[in-house]
Amino acid sequence: MREEILSELRSIVGEDWVVTGEDRIQGYLYDETPPPMLPKASEDVVVVKPGNTREVSEIIKLANRYKIPVFPRGGGTGLVGACVPTLSGIVLSLERMNKIVVDKENLIAEAEAGATLADLIKAAEDAGLFFPLHPGDEGAQIGGLLACNAGGVRAIKTGVMRNYVKGMEVVLPTGEILTLGGKLVKNNAGYDLMHLIIGSEGTLGVITKAWIRLQPKSAASATIVVPFKDRETALKAVPAIFHEGIIPLAIEYMERDLIEKTAQQLGLTWPCKEGDHQLMLILTETSEAALYDACEKLMNLCERLGSLEPLLAESREEQETILKIRSEIYSALRSNLIDILDTTVPPAQLVELIKATEELGKKYNTYLPVFGHAGDGNLHIHIMKEEGWTQEEYDRLRDEIYKKAVELGGTITGEHGIGYTRKKSIQKYLDKKALELMKAIKQVFDPNNILNPDKILP
Amino acid sequence: MSGKGLRIVVLIKQVPDIEKVRFDVETGRIDRSSAPAETNPFDLHALEAAVQLKEKLGGSITVISMGPRQAESSLRDALARGADRAILLTDKRLAGADTIATSRALAAAIRKLGGFDLILCGEKTVDGDTGQVGPEVAEVLDIPHVAYVCEIREVTDDKITVVSDMGDKYLYEVKLPALLTVTRELNTPRLPTLRDVLKARKKQIEIWDADALAQYEDPDRFGIKGSKTIVMKVVIPGVEHRKGIIFRGEDAAEKLLEVLKEGGFVKP
Repeated sequence: MREEILSELRSIVGEDWVVTGEDRIQGYLYDETPPPMLPKASEDVVVVKPGNTREVSEIIKLANRYKIPVFPRGGGTGLVGACVPTLSGIVLSLERMNKIVVDKENLIAEAEAGATLADLIKAAEDAGLFFPLHPGDEGAQIGGLLACNAGGVRAIKTGVMRNYVKGMEVVLPTGEILTLGGKLVKNNAGYDLMHLIIGSEGTLGVITKAWIRLQPKSAASATIVVPFKDRETALKAVPAIFHEGIIPLAIEYMERDLIEKTAQQLGLTWPCKEGDHQLMLILTETSEAALYDACEKLMNLCERLGSLEPLLAESREEQETILKIRSEIYSALRSNLIDILDTTVPPAQLVELIKATEELGKKYNTYLPVFGHAGDGNLHIHIMKEEGWTQEEYDRLRDEIYKKAVELGGTITGEHGIGYTRKKSIQKYLDKKALELMKAIKQVFDPNNILNPDKILP
Repeated sequence: MSGKGLRIVVLIKQVPDIEKVRFDVETGRIDRSSAPAETNPFDLHALEAAVQLKEKLGGSITVISMGPRQAESSLRDALARGADRAILLTDKRLAGADTIATSRALAAAIRKLGGFDLILCGEKTVDGDTGQVGPEVAEVLDIPHVAYVCEIREVTDDKITVVSDMGDKYLYEVKLPALLTVTRELNTPRLPTLRDVLKARKKQIEIWDADALAQYEDPDRFGIKGSKTIVMKVVIPGVEHRKGIIFRGEDAAEKLLEVLKEGGFVKP
């Protein structure tokens, strides 16, 4: 990076917030993408940490002047290399912009991009409110959660990140500051640019602030683990639960050997010791009576479907332990992992996707651990390291899984996005015209292609 | 042990979720509405130990709690987790009790049961944090007790062998009936089945007031009246957060040294 650019950056954000030097920028180059998939970061990178939106705008304007790529960065918890600076440029870390103000009357949190998910959960709780989503790692930042439209475990009842954003402040790739939406429940003024930017993985704008919808605290909640002897019965139970009128916050499908192994690595015990295939449900209701009513219905249903004995956790600690173990499955697999997929199919087709995965596992003679958000058809299939395999074999297997998902009416990614690692696949599985429109949109927003270039679009 | 297996009593307390609860710094009181109530987490380990012993040796488990009517939900939870009988001691005359007055009421209730082999409690409650009630109940009943039990080795007809963890570990053999307070290392409480939770909702909780215990203890020795201690003031320590300071300029080292001295990190 040229010294004159560094010095201009310093004059925008101050001496302390322009970081250079190999060891000091190391923590800003990568994310949680499985190492075999991770693209190599450029060595010529400067990390800049703006303190406010005006500074973000000035940095972007400067980058436009010199045509320097800018890589916006949140908590670095992504899984597809979306924030990795693959070219020489500026890593824009929004960590200093981390304030959250809760407007209790409007049930809205005004959160700066660098505030973490943990901060948001706590701020909501301190105000006596609740943020229902739980997209995994609580170190994720608001900006990243929105830019990647995070989903996670608790998306059934109330949707993914997109469904919680009422407005945002964004710095465009040309440096202008734009406020989109607001604390409004209804807003129909023109094209919805905000929703275009949500999920754009930092290619269309730098999100600096967002107005996020909160909910009243639910009065009663419980986590239930329902064990099954076989996978098919477990997955067929999912639509049956909905038909019963039970809408849980989460329904997760998992396999016992994997979840027990995860628990063991955490020094914890997985509470449910029977049934190789299990569903985990989180129920939240407005009263204890309503909760037990749902529990009664669920119990009757489980008897009809022939599940094994469901277990129920009501105390905060017991519920948190279950969710923690579930959230850490990925960490347990990570050391031996090639790739984590997030293929998503219509919920009722999940059984077929898992069956196909099992067959592919046999065909390729490899173990493909799966778990996933059964309620929304989102399945995490893991491709594990195999002795003697070449990159080509992994790619072929992955492509077969993608192909099956798309055949079943699904998508290659329901959660993690395209980022860097799936650029090739998107070319194959996305409609040509759609891709063309996306490229044109990118060109309109970012004529100099400075914002997170080298991502999403092939 | 009688012919019917081990007659176990488990003492439990409903407490506010201590990680969520807010304190009123002015009055030093707990704002109970700020957090949901739950069973004292230590007590779940006592109950789990009871269930394991019952599974092995047969017998019965009675849970007793003293508190307001809402503590019934903790007793129902205990029934779902394997207790056979649940008794709630609730009465204005029992309220405001310190540890000794609490112990007298619990001991009176245990006497009223007519016979027991083993009493189990958590090592302490997360709200009071004294760890006194268990041992005091044993004193009132004049039976042996072992605190901080982290392992139960063996139970015979008239003896129990346990390991107590008081920093160092000690092996104890005590005569039954006895009282143990247990640590969280003793076991991992299992989750109740959904079926048992729903069944427990329909079970009867026995309610005993001060009069019900009068035959075994003078009611004047219960509650606030019978308490030897009162809470004058609760001081809530503030939370210190990490912070970063950047020193620059020629005297940066001196300024840093000053801060370190002030904080007591280096000798002046």
